[in-house]
Amino acid sequence: MGDKVMYEISLRRFLGLYALYARMDLDFLVRDARLSLMAIAADGLSNAASVSGVFLLSQRFGGIGGMSRWDVLFMLGYVTCVTGLYQLFFSGNNTGHISRRIGRGQVDHMLVQPLPLPVQLATEGFIPFTGCQNLLFGIGIIVWALRGAGHSVGAAFAAGTAGYLFVSLAIIIGLSYLFSSLAFKRQVAFEEIASTVVDDLTGMLSNYPLSAMPPPVQWTLITVVPAGLLGWFPACALLGQAPLGLSALYPLAVAVVIWALAALAFKKGLKYYVKYGSNRYNAGGHRR
Amino acid sequence: MSNTAQTDTTRADIAVSLRNVCKMFYQKQPAQNPRDLFRPRRKAVAALDDVTFSVKRGEFIAYAGPNGAGKSTTIKLLGGMLAQNAGEVSVLGMSPLRDRIAIMRRLGVLFGNRTELWWDHPVSASYRWKRKVWDIPRGDFEEMESLVLDLLDIRPFYNTFARELSLGQRMRADLGMLLLHRPELILLDEPTLGLDVLAKRRMIGFLKELNARDGTTIIVTSHDMDDLEEMARRILLISHGKIAFDGDFSALRGELGLTRKAVVCFADGSRREIPYGDTKTVLRGIAELDGVSDVSFTQASLEEGLAALFERWKAESERTASEI
Repeated sequence: MGDKVMYEISLRRFLGLYALYARMDLDFLVRDARLSLMAIAADGLSNAASVSGVFLLSQRFGGIGGMSRWDVLFMLGYVTCVTGLYQLFFSGNNTGHISRRIGRGQVDHMLVQPLPLPVQLATEGFIPFTGCQNLLFGIGIIVWALRGAGHSVGAAFAAGTAGYLFVSLAIIIGLSYLFSSLAFKRQVAFEEIASTVVDDLTGMLSNYPLSAMPPPVQWTLITVVPAGLLGWFPACALLGQAPLGLSALYPLAVAVVIWALAALAFKKGLKYYVKYGSNRYNAGGHRR
Repeated sequence: MSNTAQTDTTRADIAVSLRNVCKMFYQKQPAQNPRDLFRPRRKAVAALDDVTFSVKRGEFIAYAGPNGAGKSTTIKLLGGMLAQNAGEVSVLGMSPLRDRIAIMRRLGVLFGNRTELWWDHPVSASYRWKRKVWDIPRGDFEEMESLVLDLLDIRPFYNTFARELSLGQRMRADLGMLLLHRPELILLDEPTLGLDVLAKRRMIGFLKELNARDGTTIIVTSHDMDDLEEMARRILLISHGKIAFDGDFSALRGELGLTRKAVVCFADGSRREIPYGDTKTVLRGIAELDGVSDVSFTQASLEEGLAALFERWKAESERTASEI
């Protein structure tokens, strides 16, 4: 919307914007470092608690549904990294929970900036200082799991893991934007839809090793509710074989479909926004 | 009442142009039958109804009207935040919807009831943010930063968090931030909203200076007619989505029948009010009077005249609605 004239955003400019938001995040952290560090520690503890239940079960039973305890730990580390990447790049200023900004009538603030909306959305959420703990924690768990299982990590494995992490992140963001587009039309009803999608998918469903589940549940959780693509499927594919006889590239195909739908829905929603406007403006901090 | 100013200008002289612009809003109505539960009834309201006007570069325009007349809608259309249902909108020779990014480099928009400042950061951080996002060269930024900090007296709270500012400080900080990229056109929606007398004087003085010194085109909406009269040379009155008056303030006074009066006090304590049009004639007349002890000249309040006018428009609109 409104960006028909294509503007070249150089890599330098893009990195400059990331540096800007990193600086703002650092300023936020050092304003009251004691409180900020306590909040970061609490976030880390809560994250550890969210994965420890499944890990302890797999420890007790020596694995779950054909996955060894180290495989389960690797999967949990992977899920934590996905959550960490989301926090690092999209949890600042509600760029990931975009339904909040739409539902609060705050898209106007984006329309007055001389930048394409995708560039704004890709950079404004970057919080490397207050949002890095989950990613670091997740990497730690992955290293621990790979050492425990005696896996040798080569460049191909590292690149594969990075690629899958990118795809899983794309799936979360795509789903968030797809469902958030509903907030353009029904601002009150769908203001919090992104939290439901993101938090439930990353925080609850994706932590379970689906190998122990019957195939209909597995299929449901990699198609209709693709929580299995945020941990279980990539972990299985990276550690041996992609489950259910599917190609290892299946998550990529799903991500492409979700992004195409999200782009379409978001564009349509934005057209609706400029056609009908919004009377739900929330002045109490316009990027909250 | 219509006195649409005819302008003979070339395209390049025009900062803003609206041609036959219509903008409708649809308000949901309470359900009256079961079908309404699934397809809510909506009442169409014309926020702008075939509006046509243009603004030359360097003009300072007051855009006024009663609540719900369509002022903010016009500002949002010009800022590319809303799309019109019909007609053409042009800002600095471009379409606000199609050329949003190019326009935003040269345009500044400020709504009195919202802030562009970063809520959880000091004002200075918001200004640095603006420099990066607008890609303002460092030298230009520092020059403008220094200028607005002094002229708007922002220095005392430059490192204060936005959410800790008073309304007047917040408005000044917002206005200062708006100017950092040297916009050619400024749209201000109720910029004096809630400001005390001192803050208002500062804001008005600064805007007038900006217009006179840099030739910046300014369109400002407000309910305070005295403020508008002090700032702008031309006033557009909008009512029920239509431009009801376009001209200067003295022409508006004439249209409203607001006359100037000479109040003559006599030595015996009596006084006489003499309505006049021509100053020389009334002065000659007063000079011929005997026993004059004092003379003062008054001007009927524009606000009073407009209040009566808005009341009349409201009654006309209600009458039309009941006839329909």
